[in-house]
Amino acid sequence: MSFFVKKISRRAIVQALIALPALSLLRRRVDTEPPSADPNEIVEVNGWILKRSDLA
Amino acid sequence: MIFDSYETFKAANFTAKVCILGSGPAGITIARKLGAAGISVVVLEAGSREFSDDSQDFYRGSTVGDPYFDLDITRLRFMGGSSNHWAGWCRVLDKQDFEPKAWAPDTGWPISRADIDPFLPEVHDILDLPDFRPDVPISDDIRWVQLIKSPAVRFGEKFADELDKSRNIAVVLNTYATELAGDGRRVTGAKLWSNGQDAGVFSAEYFIPCTGGLENSRLLLWSNQRSNGGVVPNAAALGRYWMEHPTFEGGNAILTDYSEFEVDATNEAFFSPSLAAMERLQIMNFGIRLIETPYAGIKSVIADLACTAPDAAEWLAYQLSQNLRCAAQLYVTWEQAPQASNQIELSKTDVDHAGVPRIELHWKKSALERRTLLEGLRLFGTTLIQKDLGRVRMADWIVNGQDYPTNEETAGHHHMGGTRMGTDVTRSVVDANCKVHGMDNLYVGGSSVFCTSGECNPTTTITALACRLGDHLSKIITV
Repeated sequence: MSFFVKKISRRAIVQALIALPALSLLRRRVDTEPPSADPNEIVEVNGWILKRSDLA
Repeated sequence: MIFDSYETFKAANFTAKVCILGSGPAGITIARKLGAAGISVVVLEAGSREFSDDSQDFYRGSTVGDPYFDLDITRLRFMGGSSNHWAGWCRVLDKQDFEPKAWAPDTGWPISRADIDPFLPEVHDILDLPDFRPDVPISDDIRWVQLIKSPAVRFGEKFADELDKSRNIAVVLNTYATELAGDGRRVTGAKLWSNGQDAGVFSAEYFIPCTGGLENSRLLLWSNQRSNGGVVPNAAALGRYWMEHPTFEGGNAILTDYSEFEVDATNEAFFSPSLAAMERLQIMNFGIRLIETPYAGIKSVIADLACTAPDAAEWLAYQLSQNLRCAAQLYVTWEQAPQASNQIELSKTDVDHAGVPRIELHWKKSALERRTLLEGLRLFGTTLIQKDLGRVRMADWIVNGQDYPTNEETAGHHHMGGTRMGTDVTRSVVDANCKVHGMDNLYVGGSSVFCTSGECNPTTTITALACRLGDHLSKIITV
């Protein structure tokens, strides 16, 4: 029996395997987090020339 | 002296060194300058002292390309010319308007603003104008500019007594030149039409067509055709580079404080781009006219804004409840890029009562101008935000790239180009002194000599150029 199996229970290994697919979801969420928008940025919406903060 | 017909003029045995065609702002100004210098002048005016349908009929024509006004209503053919329906807006072309722009072909004049500045005091007297105030930069991109609403001088009315009493100036009404004859060096005579019939040939030492920004080209095109190139020997640019000031409602603005803007007596203010902004965006000059919006107009602006920026709409509604002026309509006028294809041609099928072909005007707005309109509004809107002065909403048709509306004013009734000033004979018709290239005694007055149009109404610059031409001729013509 290897050192790895001796130290970690079989139950823990199974739980880790089940959780692995969810990690990619977390990673995607972190990747797509929008940068903090500049409230003074000038935007055009429906023909209006506005500050981003006007849209709040 | 004012004569009602060529017959009565002939009977008076008045001898004129200079023959001016047309009694609008350019014609009368040049005549007064020459008369004051002791030079004898005859001014031939096609119409009479009053408007008449019969006279206007000579101005009918057709337009090819973009929609334009009927050619017989966009100008007036009687004493005083189109000053008779002038609204009175005054401003001189800016220094930057005279300079060439690398991003717009065929821009730049052979003279600078400094060449007409010495004549501005005279112009102010003629047009009853106070002094212009310097521009005020609102940002690096936008400047407040002053257009003065003058009393709109009707040249025929204002100067009728003076002209009637003049011993050096004879105004002959109901008389005009259907064509000039020339030998490639000089104009040798003018074929006249007076009171509905052929009136023979008139001779003078100098001829100066001042018949307007459409008619100058028509007269010279027809004359040149009849004399086999003897009137405008270098005719490649004749009739070409014609320009207007397209004008459309560009949208609305809401203003944090209307009193931040210096408005004139009619609650209007004007804004134009800096040269740096034009250069950076590679656009033409433009003028944004800000007009206070009536109450019903504000409500629709609020309703529209509420869908996009509720807080801003709430603020606007509150301002309205306080009876504050906080919204405005934005009208945009812009400079047309000179294009050889915008041109006056002679109709091949339609002639007037004197047998002269009518005008066929080819006129189209360019993509560069469309970009000028859009970027101009963006510059203004951005400036309002940066200076915390307000917000701009651009009209849907501009944002969506749709066709120009057909239910608006379209343009300013400003007819410019056709006999433009320049040094290259293939791209211009007159030189820096308004003398037709290659001709010794033929000059042109009026906005047809404009190389570029700037964004402002042309009458003030027309009058300044006329003072300059009158001054120039008074120095070279011996009494």
